Amino acid sequence: MAEPILSCRGLTKRFGGLLAVNRVDLDVEQGEILGLIGPNGAGKSTLFRLIAGIMHPNAGTVTFGGHRITNRPAHDVCVAGVAATHQIVRPFRDMTVLDNVVVGAFFGRRPRPHGPAAAREAALAALRFCGLEGRAHSDARTLNLSGQKRLEIARALATRPEVLLLDEVLAGLNPTETDQTLELVRTIRSHGTTIVMVEHNLRAVRGVCSRIVALVNGSKIAEGSPEAVLNDEAVVSAYLGTTHA
Amino acid sequence: MDRRTASLAACGVALAAAIAVPFVASRAEYVLDVLFLVFLYGAMATAWNLLGGFAGQVSFGHAAFLGIGAYTTAILTQLGISLWIAVPAGALLAGAFSLVIGIPAFRLRGPYFSIATIGIGEATRLIALNWTSLTGGASGLTLATAPPLIVQYFAALALCVVSVALAAWIKVSRFGYALAAIRQDPDAAETLGVATTVAKTQALFLSACLLGVAGSIYALHYLFISPDSVFGFGTSIGLVIMPIIGGLGTVTGPLLGAVVYTFIREQLAATLANADLLAFGLLLIAIVVFEPRGILGIIDRVRSGKKPPPEIAAVGDG
Amino acid sequence: MLVAGLYAAMSYGLALIYGVLKIINLANAGFLMLGAYVTWWLFTAFHVHPLLAPLAIVPLFFLFGSALERTLVRRVLGAEPIISLLLLFGVWLVLQNLAYVIWTGDTRSIDTPFIDATVSVAGMQLAVPRLYVFAMGVLVLVGLQLFLTRTYLGRAIRATAQDRDAARLVGVDVERVNGIAFGIGIALAGFGGSLLSLLFSFTPDFGRTLSLKSFCIVVLGGLDSIVGVAFGALSLSLAEAFGVRYMPASLQNLISFVVLVVVLIVLPKGIVGTLRALRRG
Repeated sequence: MAEPILSCRGLTKRFGGLLAVNRVDLDVEQGEILGLIGPNGAGKSTLFRLIAGIMHPNAGTVTFGGHRITNRPAHDVCVAGVAATHQIVRPFRDMTVLDNVVVGAFFGRRPRPHGPAAAREAALAALRFCGLEGRAHSDARTLNLSGQKRLEIARALATRPEVLLLDEVLAGLNPTETDQTLELVRTIRSHGTTIVMVEHNLRAVRGVCSRIVALVNGSKIAEGSPEAVLNDEAVVSAYLGTTHA
Repeated sequence: MDRRTASLAACGVALAAAIAVPFVASRAEYVLDVLFLVFLYGAMATAWNLLGGFAGQVSFGHAAFLGIGAYTTAILTQLGISLWIAVPAGALLAGAFSLVIGIPAFRLRGPYFSIATIGIGEATRLIALNWTSLTGGASGLTLATAPPLIVQYFAALALCVVSVALAAWIKVSRFGYALAAIRQDPDAAETLGVATTVAKTQALFLSACLLGVAGSIYALHYLFISPDSVFGFGTSIGLVIMPIIGGLGTVTGPLLGAVVYTFIREQLAATLANADLLAFGLLLIAIVVFEPRGILGIIDRVRSGKKPPPEIAAVGDG
Repeated sequence: MLVAGLYAAMSYGLALIYGVLKIINLANAGFLMLGAYVTWWLFTAFHVHPLLAPLAIVPLFFLFGSALERTLVRRVLGAEPIISLLLLFGVWLVLQNLAYVIWTGDTRSIDTPFIDATVSVAGMQLAVPRLYVFAMGVLVLVGLQLFLTRTYLGRAIRATAQDRDAARLVGVDVERVNGIAFGIGIALAGFGGSLLSLLFSFTPDFGRTLSLKSFCIVVLGGLDSIVGVAFGALSLSLAEAFGVRYMPASLQNLISFVVLVVVLIVLPKGIVGTLRALRRG
């Protein structure tokens, strides 16, 4: 089997006395869509932030493309080729939709576009990809939630990532928007970008992911094909335990 | 494209007029004196705006860089060193100082950075006041000779043009996008690959170098500098107020602000001590509450004939 | 070192306002200065004893502060932090220069027999006003703590400071709490200024140095903790008392700025916050 493109070993993060992420090992294979599931507070978003360099772990390592990226600042991780979207959308509200994406195009992974014209071109391409080109010149704050989520994706995509971390991009979307976004995720994968997605919508995860990892209380409890993980006893009881408690 | 050509043409006309003024104006002395101040303040405000407006890092201590430039030039010329060396030395020293304070201070965010800059500004003033052997302490420094007013005028004009051109270029460049992203959401900027601390430090450095040159011109114009004039808190206040009046984070706003600032000071400073600062305080409150985008925001509103979107003030992560 | 009481008194308001409204009251300096001037003015114009001045200042400043919150501050609460900072900077400019216009820039001081009185405690000659100011600093601390822990309004303020949305959910009128907290913060600044006028001579500009000290103190103590403020005030006054032995008095003010900048950079959560984090970690 080929070397995983991204792998975590023994990743641990404490908040005071709470173990948010507890010695997690995670391998992401080139070209897959990996789903990360777990009840609220399982540590999924924290794990993402540790990978993206937004937070730094207390212990453990993150390796990307054979290089250690542990403890590197977030902008370095992005430049290396791992882009992340934010669970709570954070557009640059006073910029136009296009300019939001231009930031991603100007920075992000090398080779970068030369000059403003090329950056705009690249940004427009990312917007087109995400179906937002019609709103390119609106201010970002005028987009609705679904639009802002797409903008998050477009912005991250414009950084030319090899691995894209999507943090609950489906939350708050209606069924039509959900289907459109899932289609978008598949298209991104088909263009060669590896995807890791944190998701609550288990039906969506089953439909789109090639593999699933389940976290509970900061620890990995199951890993494998969607069918296997979603029928795993520990996973089912963790979900039932929190939803019916 | 049309608008761009039009604004370029407008800039050209304004520049040609500014160059022609010394040769055509009657009462040239007075007109030159006022315009000199407008250009000098315009350059200073534009320099402050690179960091405070573009990157949203409001500094209440920028007088430090003006002071360093002014004192460096004053001290070096007293030693008989040519202005061609003294002025660049002032700019570089101000820039070097900005790196010394910027690297630690940018570990702080937003309001915390601003508070630290009050401390930095005050600390540099106190040092200038107490390092008597170098600065002459409270009695200040006197320069022997000044270049003729017309030379000063063109120096201020050149600095102003350079600053505004630099700002205009930065605004549409990759660097400008980094600064704008930092202003709106530093965390989101980081995750998009922007090295925020590096970008902020670069903006501060440019800003400090320009202010260092401005300080040199200031010293050569007034021929007398003291810690309370160039390092004073009043100077830092002016640097904050001008860009806000004109339009924070815009290219031409600080220059507009400098015009208003110079006008109000000329009108009020003579009538009642501190009336000008009182007026600036009221103006600042009014702008922040009613139109945070300053004069350019008002123009924009009048032109489009509509109210700003209700969230205009409610920016950021709340 | 007794000056710690004063430092604490002038910083409580800053911490309270930050705790509840999450904005930094740059105008604190202006209100300190105003408190001192009102005390002086009551004394010279109406022969009101400076110790009685706070009876007028505290309610007056409270009303002024609440009104300010209602008319101006409220409009910028949801905006970027820099906007509220600039607004309050404007308020400070107005207060300071209004004072210049009204009272000129001449140095003022209050001169009564009380000011010069000394007592001897354990063989040391101590100035009575300093003792009084120190006692007041402690008294306000205790009073404020009692108010915040024992009264409904105080609890509402603490609830809002901790979690605005949760407080709203349990029926706290958050808007009203904002106004009251801002009012109390301003009243405390006025009270601090009144105490100040007993110890130092002053000009309209004098709040700036002291306000920087206040920032230093609240940052040392953590921006939103009242007990932290008392602790920060004590630390700064100790640092100053210690520092003057090694450097000229003219540089004494530099100590607080250096402490401020160093603390901001090394311990952005303040000493109390860092201790808390260490205990948890």
